Amino acid sequence: MWDVVKSVLAAFFGVQQDQRRRKDFEQGKPGAFIIVGILLALVMVAIVFAIARMAAG
Amino acid sequence: MRKMFALAALLAGLSGQFPISHATDWNMPVGVSQVSRDVYDLHMIIFWICVVIGIVVFGVMFYSLFRYRRSKGAKAAQFHEHTTVEVLWTAIPFLILVAMAIPATATLKNMYDASEADYDVMITGHQWRWQYDYMGEGVTFFSNLGTPREQIAGTEEKGEHYLLEVDEPLVLPINRKIRLLTTSADVIHSWWVPDLAVKKDAIPGFVNESWTRIDEPGIYRGQCTELCGKDHGFMPVVVHAMEQEQFDAWLEERRQAAAADAGGVDREWELAELVERGEKVYATICAACHQAEGQGLPPTFPALAGNQALMDDLEHHIDAVVNGVSGSAMASFSGTLNPIDIAAVITFERNAWGHETGDVVQPADIQALLSP
Repeated sequence: MWDVVKSVLAAFFGVQQDQRRRKDFEQGKPGAFIIVGILLALVMVAIVFAIARMAAG
Repeated sequence: MRKMFALAALLAGLSGQFPISHATDWNMPVGVSQVSRDVYDLHMIIFWICVVIGIVVFGVMFYSLFRYRRSKGAKAAQFHEHTTVEVLWTAIPFLILVAMAIPATATLKNMYDASEADYDVMITGHQWRWQYDYMGEGVTFFSNLGTPREQIAGTEEKGEHYLLEVDEPLVLPINRKIRLLTTSADVIHSWWVPDLAVKKDAIPGFVNESWTRIDEPGIYRGQCTELCGKDHGFMPVVVHAMEQEQFDAWLEERRQAAAADAGGVDREWELAELVERGEKVYATICAACHQAEGQGLPPTFPALAGNQALMDDLEHHIDAVVNGVSGSAMASFSGTLNPIDIAAVITFERNAWGHETGDVVQPADIQALLSP
């Protein structure tokens, strides 16, 4: 599970090691990446929202 | 080289031809308010950041091209990825952008904070003039292009402030926070004065807020910056900033003039005085489309001079000016002109250019039409 989170974060950043990518495509389940991706996207929205609130306040 | 020189000379000529602000030929103006100075500083900081990035990136690139050129036997490295470098070239720009966003956001926040203003001025864009309403002061007027038509036609030499001068500027006191409420009566315009770093779209049905606090007395010029039709380039903005006492005196004078006009509606007007006033109204309002001598620009803008059908139908003439003509370019002027100006301009049109109807339209009759 931790590996999935790390891979999704790497995708957010836009840089991934070739070795990990291979491993994800061979062993990973698509469903896990989709769910973690949606959850982390929500977390990012919350962080951006909080920063914007802080800057405006 | 010669071509480049010619291009540089051309650019210098273009930018120097119509000075709109206290800008140098090559940079934006520092301006005359704290906000405009903040905007200028921000612009310079980001400019220098870009210069440094440019020098570093191109320096590395050109050095590599030169140092590792093929004629010196350099061999290209063959590898697919380098995570560390990729992380660096993603993270560094990210940090630079955040560093630029922090001062930019602070300035923007300040620019949007129009609260606790000393004066409110409603700015309404019209095709093709600005209207200024000093809210709560009972003073409102139109600011029309002040450049003589002869200069535009090219029969006279162009003046220093060609197309950047108006008959009545927006007058503001210095060292006071002025809230500017921008809207439009017809199409989208945009109110822009570079020296104040204020540029706000004027959109029909919306009221946009901005504000300024001017430090130095002076005359600051700007333009409409949203393409708004035929005379988009002929509706400049002029701001006259002055000391508070001068401003108070000006405002009082305007208030009294407005009161005098309100009283003038009810009295009986003579033909000659209506024609005299109507001629001025015609020149500032009507001549843009119907032309200086009433010859019009058919078919869009019909001729008024020698228009017998119009001269035979006074009621239609009044109706056209007051309510506009639907399906044509003729706008309604009931909101733009006061009853005296409407009566004057119709009387003028019916007694100018060889027309001798002798018709006298009384302001009181127009007033009755406007508020039945």
